[in-house]
Amino acid sequence: MEDHPSRRRWRAAVLAAVALSLLGGLALAGKLASDRLMIADPDALAPDAATVRLARARGAIMFREHCAACHGADGRKEPARGAADLADRDWLYGSGKTSEIEGVIAHGIRAEAPKTWKLADMPAFGRARPSAADPTLQPLAAGEVSDLIDYLQALENRRRDTPGAERGRAVYTARGCHDCHGGDAKGDPGIGAPNLADDIWLYGQGSREEIRRSLLDGRRGRCPAWAGRLSPGEIRELALYVHSLSESAK
Amino acid sequence: MSAVVEPEVRAPPAAWRSLTQINPKRSLTLCAIGAVAGLAAAGAALFTAHGTTTLVVPAEDVALVNGQAVARSDYLAGLRALYDASPSEATPAQRRKVLNDLITEELMVQRGRELDVAAVDPDVRAATVNAVEQSVAADALTRIPPPEALRAYYQAHKDRYADEGVIVARDLVFPPAAATAAAEALAAGRPVEAVLAQFGGRDSGRTKGEEFYFAARIHLGGAVFDAARATTSGGVAAPVSQPDGVHLVQVLRNRAPIPLSYEAALPSVRDDYTQAAVKRLQAQHADFLRKRASILVASDLK
Repeated sequence: MEDHPSRRRWRAAVLAAVALSLLGGLALAGKLASDRLMIADPDALAPDAATVRLARARGAIMFREHCAACHGADGRKEPARGAADLADRDWLYGSGKTSEIEGVIAHGIRAEAPKTWKLADMPAFGRARPSAADPTLQPLAAGEVSDLIDYLQALENRRRDTPGAERGRAVYTARGCHDCHGGDAKGDPGIGAPNLADDIWLYGQGSREEIRRSLLDGRRGRCPAWAGRLSPGEIRELALYVHSLSESAK
Repeated sequence: MSAVVEPEVRAPPAAWRSLTQINPKRSLTLCAIGAVAGLAAAGAALFTAHGTTTLVVPAEDVALVNGQAVARSDYLAGLRALYDASPSEATPAQRRKVLNDLITEELMVQRGRELDVAAVDPDVRAATVNAVEQSVAADALTRIPPPEALRAYYQAHKDRYADEGVIVARDLVFPPAAATAAAEALAAGRPVEAVLAQFGGRDSGRTKGEEFYFAARIHLGGAVFDAARATTSGGVAAPVSQPDGVHLVQVLRNRAPIPLSYEAALPSVRDDYTQAAVKRLQAQHADFLRKRASILVASDLK
């Protein structure tokens, strides 16, 4: 039977209306899902939920665009930059909860933003004034630097028997390193002070020269604040993706 | 007379269905459907769009106070800071407390704006200036510096990136009359203690073993340190007259500053480059504000 031109036009119009309705429906469903994601407790989201999987996929795209330049495409360590490994379970700031990651992404670290995470800098102990924030802090002598390096390397290797390491331990205590890194040198995730007693190094691989540079020049790693550049929903998606990077780590 | 049978007039095909014919009923109906759909879309947008007066709190916020949003991220941070809890861990009372605190804070901020506290309170003014400078700086911080720009910065400021020099020295002080002979004796390699004893000298005690250059400069003073720095390991520095006598520095070891390679200096270079960019942006921003402002300066200060 021959199709009347008028009928064909009607069919096209109906198809267009259905397609538009579907698109509208999809957009609405997307918005509702995004709203549900925002309202949910970020630390209690089930990782296998469809919304979370979708959010992580979107977060992965944003990660490549905004974060990979420093953290690498896979979030692995970039020792030359001092960018933390995001794919292990060793968290420099906080304990790795999605809400904490979200806070870091939104407000950054030492990011010149009002709510940024900026409680301490590693002083430059090889300068006449190691810390602008604490004028009373005195520089280390060259011998003290050498002894401290011995101590820190001994901590990593779990050996404390060299004379330099013993002297370094005394320097560690006497010069207030424990204020940030703790009496046991295991760091403080509240202020982003790294654990010095494990074999994970934020800068370099723990060589003598790399530790020396950290002691002499200090460290002030930064992460930009993305609030205002990314929407709260995008920040959550990014946080969910970053959190997922560490899930498979031991 | 035979009846004339009128041929049956058949109704034209339903024009409602035929898109090739104009049908006023169809036009009106479709127009009405379009209007209703448009109104529905506009209504939905009106009550959910950001920055408009709305009766619906957007999902990224926890409250609207006189139309001003209280961010959900602040609510989460508040719960974490006060109770170390996430929303699902916190009790209803804790959640209410944090929410109420945030609402009260927002009300106070709004009242502060009405009272124009920034005009009179130096703390508020300082915080406002700081916040504006930070917002300008944020642009520089989110931008990844290109490697060639970092390398150019390093080349231009190479003298900044060097390992600090190290010196081990003894600062000996002699009476002016004996200084020349003491210097010769030291240069000849005679034991320090013997020279001190023979020429009535003493160790100033200013140096403390192995020292970085900056520390040695502080301890020895500029003139004595400069003389020591110019001396090679094992040598005796040129005499420097001071009010307490003539200083002769015996330099046991002197290692001059070693320039750092680009790779070794990179973290510092990146930091310095970013700071310089921040300062530049802030200065440009201040210039821009000045240019667009109307500023009248009192005639006595012109």
